[in-house]
Amino acid sequence: MVLKSIKRVFLAFTLLSGCLLAQAQHQIGNGRISGDFGFDGMYYIPDSVIGAEKVDSKVRGNAFLNLLYSNGGFSAGARYEFYMFPLIDFEKIGYQGQGIKYFFADYKNSFIQVTAGNYYEQFGNGLTLRAYEDRQLGIDNSLLGARVKVTPYKGIYLKGVWGIERRNFDSYIGRKDFVRGADLELSFGEMFPVVQEKGFIARVGGSFVSKYQPATAPIDFVIYPGTDTAAFAQIPTDKIPMNVANWAARMTFGYKDFRLDGEYARKINDPNISNGFIFKPGEALFLSATYARKGFGIAASFIRADNMEFRSQRYENSNSLLMINNIPAINRQYSYQLIGNYSYASQPNNQIGAQLQINYQIPKKTALGGKYGTDITFNYSRFHDIDKQPVEQAVDFGTMSGTYGYTSSFFKFGPNLLYQDIGLEISHRFNNKKWKWILAYNYITYNLEILQGHAGMMRGHLVASDLSYKITPKHALRLELQNLYTKDDDGSSAYTMLEYSFSPSWFVSISNEWNYGNPIKSHRTSYYNIACAYVWNTTRIALNFGKTKEGILCVGGVCRAVPASFGAGLSVTTSF
Amino acid sequence: MKKNILICICMMLSISLFAQEAKDRHLAKLPAVDIQDINGNVFNTKDIRNDGKPVIVSLWATWCKPCIAELLAIADEYEDWVEETGVKLYAISIDDAKTSARVAPFVKGKNWEYTVLLDVNSDFKRAMNVNDVPFMCILNGDGEIVWQHTSYAPGSEAEVYEIIKSLVKK
Repeated sequence: MVLKSIKRVFLAFTLLSGCLLAQAQHQIGNGRISGDFGFDGMYYIPDSVIGAEKVDSKVRGNAFLNLLYSNGGFSAGARYEFYMFPLIDFEKIGYQGQGIKYFFADYKNSFIQVTAGNYYEQFGNGLTLRAYEDRQLGIDNSLLGARVKVTPYKGIYLKGVWGIERRNFDSYIGRKDFVRGADLELSFGEMFPVVQEKGFIARVGGSFVSKYQPATAPIDFVIYPGTDTAAFAQIPTDKIPMNVANWAARMTFGYKDFRLDGEYARKINDPNISNGFIFKPGEALFLSATYARKGFGIAASFIRADNMEFRSQRYENSNSLLMINNIPAINRQYSYQLIGNYSYASQPNNQIGAQLQINYQIPKKTALGGKYGTDITFNYSRFHDIDKQPVEQAVDFGTMSGTYGYTSSFFKFGPNLLYQDIGLEISHRFNNKKWKWILAYNYITYNLEILQGHAGMMRGHLVASDLSYKITPKHALRLELQNLYTKDDDGSSAYTMLEYSFSPSWFVSISNEWNYGNPIKSHRTSYYNIACAYVWNTTRIALNFGKTKEGILCVGGVCRAVPASFGAGLSVTTSF
Repeated sequence: MKKNILICICMMLSISLFAQEAKDRHLAKLPAVDIQDINGNVFNTKDIRNDGKPVIVSLWATWCKPCIAELLAIADEYEDWVEETGVKLYAISIDDAKTSARVAPFVKGKNWEYTVLLDVNSDFKRAMNVNDVPFMCILNGDGEIVWQHTSYAPGSEAEVYEIIKSLVKK
């Protein structure tokens, strides 16, 4: 009770001081206070058909307030988060609590930048380090510690970090694990202007990240799981690697309209729960080639990741918690409602795949291009698991043993298809730009078993039409029709959405998703939604009522991830 | 407990509104943050300027449909806007490592004439206190932020242009 009161007083104090600071900004000389606030609330109604469970607290909400003070090269900021009764999907991932878990002070001039407190950082493509925030997903793995960035010479960038990774609202006190790392980037175009003048881009970089976690007890695990030689085994305490290193080298080369990016990362000695406590080195390779000129662009990328899950603690395996690096999912991201549930999730321990995207604009004033040109986007991506040949190559610790687990042929695709997407999107405008029509087709293959944990593959054809009509310069209507045809998983669905907008402030929409092909007849239900949003400068207030399947919802010009639920929601965001 | 939640949220909101009032009294400039140009070279956002003419800054992403709709709508008129007012649009993509390599082909494929920058670590987005994209702000000739807006409704580009024109008249 006393603790509660203290907390409440502290809370009030923090908020009040923020309030006073904000008001007093005139008196801070050149300094400036800015910030943003967000609230997402929902009143939940149970609905057994769609699987919206009865929740113990019907009214729930997430709220945060960011305050940022900046004065010349100095800045400082803090975020207060209130997730005591969070939206159910946040509760499910353990993102529950309240307090200031993000605060920092930062000084920067042209030579050096020093940050103390929490910070977000990324080395290269993130294969070794990516501390970032995604509020919709409840991901915040900022590091609490210190960061230094130095630019000793034009085109030479050196970074050093040390910190403890954030884990939801857990206390940092008593944590013994930490992350440290360094990154160097040499940009030849900036060092030698002649390189750039000749149309070249040339950059190389390297990073080294190490995590430390003490070992206090032996690790008991099953060695060679799923084979005849499966057995209980133990890694003795003194043989558990307390320091795990992950390094990477990268380069970018470009000439005129052509560009090539590549990064290779390697991790050693990281027996952890996600890889079955094997000692095999982890590897990741990311390649990307792009070519672009007026009206035409092509991008191809490749990724292979083997045993590259890299977390602060060796027993952590839920969601993205304590993830230090990030193996990018290179597939194209769609915001179509009906395939929201079939978005590919990156598999850092086990994936190989490629992606190709071509953008082309059929020129204006041609037969197919029409008056304003026609945009065509073609997309293909395919991901497999990697090739794995089990080995019984033991790491001998005297009486006990660890293992490398398997060997893998580097460029060989494994037997299991994880995800495939073939897509075509055509966008055209006509009749004095009053009409805009986007037509899309996708054939998606999605491995439900590996990506979602329930049996089977989902193979589906999606046809989507998005038609906008500008009634007057300020009033517009948008009609979205989608049909997903599939015999797998929840079966076929149709989606209709009509949005009316009155620029620049008002949005009203009604939508319905009808799961007409569900194999269970009683689940052939409709997910309707009514939404309304008002925008005033940087403030947006939105209300909605309806049933939602998990996916991405775009209303009021903004897209966000939405969980399975039934009820009424209120969302407020503002920045100042 | 519910009462506390309500109080707490109201206070947070009131801070936001108070601060908004105060802000109007003196105009802010863009924060100076290191991001990247389209070639991946370091670009500091204090260098976003246009020789005393107005600037539009748009935060967008290749996966954000309304963002693309907005930039597409402006692209149609952009040539006229530049001719009449000398305005310059900086389209800052918040695509992360997943998709940032596709920004350049995407922009060229759409034939956009904007100056495209990459904010792959969302540093600029955070420094601008932006919640969601699309987000747009307009700078006057002195680099001061005179207008900010979140989300896109078809037709709101007309309002943007009105503001640009009024800045040039002054």
